[in-house]
Amino acid sequence: MFLVGILTWWYGDGWRERAVMVGGRIARSNDYFSVGLLLSTLFSPFRQISAGRVDGSFATQLRAIADKLISRMIGAIIRSFMIVFGLVVILLQAIFGGVVLAVWLFVPLFPIIGLLMMVIGWVPSWR
Amino acid sequence: MAVSSFKYSSPRAEKARIAVSLSRSRISLLVLCVAVFIIAGITAVVFGWSVGWVLIGFSAIPAMTIEWVGGELRDLKPVDEYSSIDDVLSGDVLGLLSRKPTPYEVATIVGQVYGGQFFAVRFGIGSGFLQEISSKDATDTPALWEEAMTIAKLTGSSKVSAAVLVVAIIKIYPKHEALLAHLQLTIDDVVAGVTWQNHIHDVIEQYKKPKRTGGIARDWSFGWIPTLSEFGQNISTNGSASSVELEAHKEALDQLVHVLSSNGRQNAALVGPSGVGKTEIVYTLAGKLLNGLSDVPANLKFRQIFLLDAAALISAAPGRGELESLVNQLLNEAYSAKNIIICLDNAELFFEEGLGSVDMTTVLLPILQNSDQQLILTMDEQRYLKVSERNGQLANALNRIAVAPASHDETIVVMQDHLMTVEYLQNVTYMYQALEEAYRLGARYIHDLAMPGRALKLLESAAGYSEQGLVTAFSVQQAIEKTMDIKITNAHSVDEREKLLHLEDLIHERMINQTHAVGVVSDALRRARAGVRNQNRPIGTFMFLGPTGVGKTELAKALADVYFGGEDRLVRLDMNEYVSNDDVTRLIADGADEPGSLTARLMKQPFSVVLLDEIEKAHPNVLTTLLQLLDEGILRDIRGREVSFRDAIIIATSNAGADRIREHIERGIDIEKFESQFIDELIESNLFKPEFLNRFDEIIMFRPLKKDELLQVVDLIIKDVNKTLELQKVSVTVSQDAKEYLVDAGYDPRLGARPMRRVVQRAVENTVAKQVLSGAVEAGGTVEIRLEQVEALVSSKKTADGIVNESTVE
Repeated sequence: MFLVGILTWWYGDGWRERAVMVGGRIARSNDYFSVGLLLSTLFSPFRQISAGRVDGSFATQLRAIADKLISRMIGAIIRSFMIVFGLVVILLQAIFGGVVLAVWLFVPLFPIIGLLMMVIGWVPSWR
Repeated sequence: MAVSSFKYSSPRAEKARIAVSLSRSRISLLVLCVAVFIIAGITAVVFGWSVGWVLIGFSAIPAMTIEWVGGELRDLKPVDEYSSIDDVLSGDVLGLLSRKPTPYEVATIVGQVYGGQFFAVRFGIGSGFLQEISSKDATDTPALWEEAMTIAKLTGSSKVSAAVLVVAIIKIYPKHEALLAHLQLTIDDVVAGVTWQNHIHDVIEQYKKPKRTGGIARDWSFGWIPTLSEFGQNISTNGSASSVELEAHKEALDQLVHVLSSNGRQNAALVGPSGVGKTEIVYTLAGKLLNGLSDVPANLKFRQIFLLDAAALISAAPGRGELESLVNQLLNEAYSAKNIIICLDNAELFFEEGLGSVDMTTVLLPILQNSDQQLILTMDEQRYLKVSERNGQLANALNRIAVAPASHDETIVVMQDHLMTVEYLQNVTYMYQALEEAYRLGARYIHDLAMPGRALKLLESAAGYSEQGLVTAFSVQQAIEKTMDIKITNAHSVDEREKLLHLEDLIHERMINQTHAVGVVSDALRRARAGVRNQNRPIGTFMFLGPTGVGKTELAKALADVYFGGEDRLVRLDMNEYVSNDDVTRLIADGADEPGSLTARLMKQPFSVVLLDEIEKAHPNVLTTLLQLLDEGILRDIRGREVSFRDAIIIATSNAGADRIREHIERGIDIEKFESQFIDELIESNLFKPEFLNRFDEIIMFRPLKKDELLQVVDLIIKDVNKTLELQKVSVTVSQDAKEYLVDAGYDPRLGARPMRRVVQRAVENTVAKQVLSGAVEAGGTVEIRLEQVEALVSSKKTADGIVNESTVE
């Protein structure tokens, strides 16, 4: 029962749960880097700096528009950088998760592989 | 296969047994094995020994086992299409069952696992109790499984857990109701225990779930808020936001979300009595808005709530101008930031002048009327009405959301949620009975808060009265006894039981005869303290009838003194002060305006003797107001708060028909035979309505005192005089003939024994005064008063009459 039970779970619910776990980690990273939020607010003024409405002469309003434009540009640059950085982290995490899921399938074979390796007698050489 | 069957060898049962065999200590051992195998394997490989591969490879076996236990075995999922009980039994129980389990065996097992231990601690239902009521016959087990399945369905449990089995074992016992009554429980309570345990499990699971809070870029599109950060409290991020949404608050919370997310005036005033949970709703909203997975509209997602406290703002900006400028600055900052919701807690303080409050209507009204700055106000119901009355525009500008007090079931759930924090902070464990008792006593004695606040307040204060860290119903009773100075627990101390058993003797130490009246009042008190009275009525309601000076008021005083802890426990109302219709208002006035009103005095001192003196003189509407008090032990004050009279003895006295009583007694008629006829006469006289008289437990007639009883009264008066003289270390004795003379001189059939006290005091005290001043008696000496001295002082009937008349005037 032990062997059947553990192997059934390992290649069934166990693998599925591990996949969900990997997915969850990616979702958490996505939330942490707020990629969606960053994309939807890519050109918003950064921290509402110079974002308010300005009344006054044409020159004042022109300056306000320029200020707002700079604020938006700064925002876009910072956000773009964070989006790229976040996407890289998420990608790395996805690759690592994929490897884990693949290795998971071979874990029950490790004792046999270990035995084979002993029989073959290969060990890494440090010279 | 029926669900009542049990398959010992099913795969799920096998897995459960493996899980049980892999205890936590064995798992730790496996972890150690993995570590040792890997380290040893790698070391071997590094040193060129290929056997290291075997060690590394075989480390997979314990590692897989650990994963399996954590992933499946520790929490075995039930089978969706179940065919026998082992498909749905929780793994911790299933793994311990034998091939043919008996109910007794099940009872033993549930005592060893979490669900059973939960019941042992929270309800006092331990394994021993369950074993006592369980059969040792395996043929009874299918009935247990059937019952367990029914309870699991009833409580929405996904599995037949140990808690479900506890309830099933109790339920299949034929006399379970009587058995549970000993533990102050009903079957519904224990079923609620399963729901409670499931709820704790759900809350923990909910807490474990990862949060989606918007991440590091969440606030990049929103403005800086330096002033708000200094003066406001960000409840969204400071850890106070609640992640648990209570069913009781769902409706108000939905309305709040709707108002804040819709177009138009984006303000909401949460209006309700104190303690109802208005601020808690704001905390829950804060948690909900910051949870990226919640179902709030997109324009509210990740908004943060800042709480502004009136007192803190006033202390920061003491001048009106400064304060207005500060509030303006805060609101402008919030508006510019675009992600802030301002909450004015106890908002009434911003709309009225007074200590700790300042009227900011001129600043806030335009914002409430025109701005799309999101504002939440929490306001006390009464204060809201006052503010609205004074300023109609303000009331119109607010989107009012009424928050109603929680029901019994909701309050219990709220308490269960709060316990998780309270138990951790106070290092105590609460029993279910404590929760029920906190609800019952909170509803009865705490008037300044609404539910669930009143029950929570009591529950928290009960932690200080826990026994070995366990808070029981008795702890809650003690908490309210100490804080409100009342008696709720049944008589426990030997002293108190002795006092109750000999109450008549103690009362008779200060009043003569009237044994019937003394007896019924004492019985009522004994019933109350033994816990066998009707809890939804006053301890006793009595009407004392009879001529003046026969001991009616004295009995009330004696009772207050002997049992209730002093004559100051007597709440005395002279009903001749309540002769007009307007006096009803005075009777039930708010304590803040009229501290002497009946309701205000009982709020402060619920454990009292209420004496309604000369009740016949009260206005009929006053008597009508008192009907509910006499019937249900409840009187609503002018603010609509229920004031409990259920721990008071109500005594109404009346001189009505005193002449008839005296006349009958003089004719030698037995007063008890005359009683019903007399009450009929009283009803016919229209002095009292039948429904009013019917509300009293007993109508007791006091008969005038006879001469030998009056002599005993003289003794009591002399005893009082001696008490007064204790300071001078002088005592007084009066000869028998002098006493008889005093009775003859002082007794007036119209006024009873009352004027006699004055005559005796005058005669005795004057004699003592003269002797002390002349030096005839020294400290430690005794003054003996003889007939001649009394005769000299009260020389004639005329002198005595003079004294008597003085007392009549008084």
